[in-house]
Amino acid sequence: MTAELEFLGVTVKIRERMLLDALTLRVERGQFVALIGPNGAGKTTLLKTALALRPPTSGSVHVRGSSVSKLEARVRAAEIGWLPQHIRADEPLTGLETVAASRFRFHESHAASRKAAERALARVGARDYSARSVTELSGGERQRVAFACLVAQEANTLLFDEPANHLDPAQQLEIYRLLGELWREGRTIVCINHDVNLLSHLGDAARVRIVGLCAGRIAFEASLDDGALPERLGALFGVQMDSIQGIRQRFIVPYARSQS
Amino acid sequence: MKARALLAVVTCLGLLLAAVLVGQRLSGPEGAFIVWQLRVPRVLVGALVGATLALVGAVFQALFQNALATSDTVGTTAGATVGALAALAFDGSRSVQGLPLVTTCAFVGALAASLLVASFASSRRAHSSDVLLAGIAVTLATSAFASGIQYVSDSRALFAATQWALGQLPQVGYRGVLLLLPVCAVSSISLLLLTRHLQAFALGEELAHSRGVNVPRLRFLALGLGSLGVAACVAWCGPIAFVGLIVPHLVRLLLGPSYRVVLPMSLLVGAAFLVGCDLFARLVVPGRELPVGIVTAALGAPALVLLVARSRR
Repeated sequence: MTAELEFLGVTVKIRERMLLDALTLRVERGQFVALIGPNGAGKTTLLKTALALRPPTSGSVHVRGSSVSKLEARVRAAEIGWLPQHIRADEPLTGLETVAASRFRFHESHAASRKAAERALARVGARDYSARSVTELSGGERQRVAFACLVAQEANTLLFDEPANHLDPAQQLEIYRLLGELWREGRTIVCINHDVNLLSHLGDAARVRIVGLCAGRIAFEASLDDGALPERLGALFGVQMDSIQGIRQRFIVPYARSQS
Repeated sequence: MKARALLAVVTCLGLLLAAVLVGQRLSGPEGAFIVWQLRVPRVLVGALVGATLALVGAVFQALFQNALATSDTVGTTAGATVGALAALAFDGSRSVQGLPLVTTCAFVGALAASLLVASFASSRRAHSSDVLLAGIAVTLATSAFASGIQYVSDSRALFAATQWALGQLPQVGYRGVLLLLPVCAVSSISLLLLTRHLQAFALGEELAHSRGVNVPRLRFLALGLGSLGVAACVAWCGPIAFVGLIVPHLVRLLLGPSYRVVLPMSLLVGAAFLVGCDLFARLVVPGRELPVGIVTAALGAPALVLLVARSRR
């Protein structure tokens, strides 16, 4: 069977800096991959190679058997959608117009785009922002609108770049609950994440593949209930990690920097 | 918002009509000649040029996500200037196939400079800011070239060049209208067809790419088609400043930022704006006409500052 998303020996080199180092990763249909790693490990670069935003120096990325760099733009958008870490909002369009614009890949009327945009905004609980200008929204509100954009695009595979960044705790949980919902609908998801504890809000956390990335290579792969996970995460970030059993879940928390 | 849009449409059409009717009292066959052979074609040329410059400005601002981008910043105007100056230095009165040599050369110059920028823009690696920078580089390089031509020109050519550079609506008659119309129509209609592409740019170029927009191809198309229309306008009228900058901003402030409104309304408001400015240029000094380029700059720039200041409150 062909993989939903496959990175084959992907190397990205900018001048002498190695961002990705012959990385190979196979993501099957319906899987949830949590990419974790220190800043500069190459996580965002990896997502960008899958989007054909950053062509690899060598190696290739395939989505359901075809190379992403050769896909027609609209076909690629049907396969892969993306929620970037930073959302630029220079144009004072309304939330609704912004989300409707993300329906670009569909050949449909503007009215149909608006309908789909309304549904997507309602789904992520951002209906209140549909008439407001995106430039006036707060960071968290804008993130919601961008999430609605991704939902409206209706791609098979979804790439998230720290979707809970800068959000308050309630919003963080809500975003991960939504991620879990999309996942259970059969979407394949690759999500950059800095806090494995949030993954338990997905719903079926034991099935999540946690992939540790360091210096452009895969350092380890584990599941959330893996007993060795705290130690591996500690090694990845250069900290000492503790594992605390809470009432409902186990928490993995750093408590000191590693001695080096 | 609908009422506002309607009001804007009515105002613009009224202004276009007024430009034909306002002026010295006219009667008899002489009056009919002035209205039908002089004023109407001039208004039509003004409307075509104003509409094209404004629409292209709106498209370039969307494409580069830069409020200051116009056809002046991507080398089109500078290319036309070099072409026109070269023709004037060579022989200003000559014509090719019935077209003035100046117009032909300005058109070719504008297209050459824009194609240079457009082909750079179609490269996969280039970002919007790089393209804008390339446009400015081409503008500066061609300006240097233009200065070189002026340095070796005689005083008659220099005077003609200065006049050309002010920008005015020429008396080109219906033939000018017929030459301008197809080029402007092709350019404008195809740009309007890109509305959805440009709207997808709203959250940035990378997101547009991930939504299925072929960004390099869109840049090439929009730059090429926009420059084609502008090249034809500048070739006839010289560089008319500020229309491409002011009109889209004016439309956005009045009717909101959606390109589905901004692009078509820029066409109409651009037409009315330039024709209105030309009317003012015709009437302000009795017995003498000002070049319309002076009026657009003198009226438009402070108006823009005022509008932006008001909208910020």
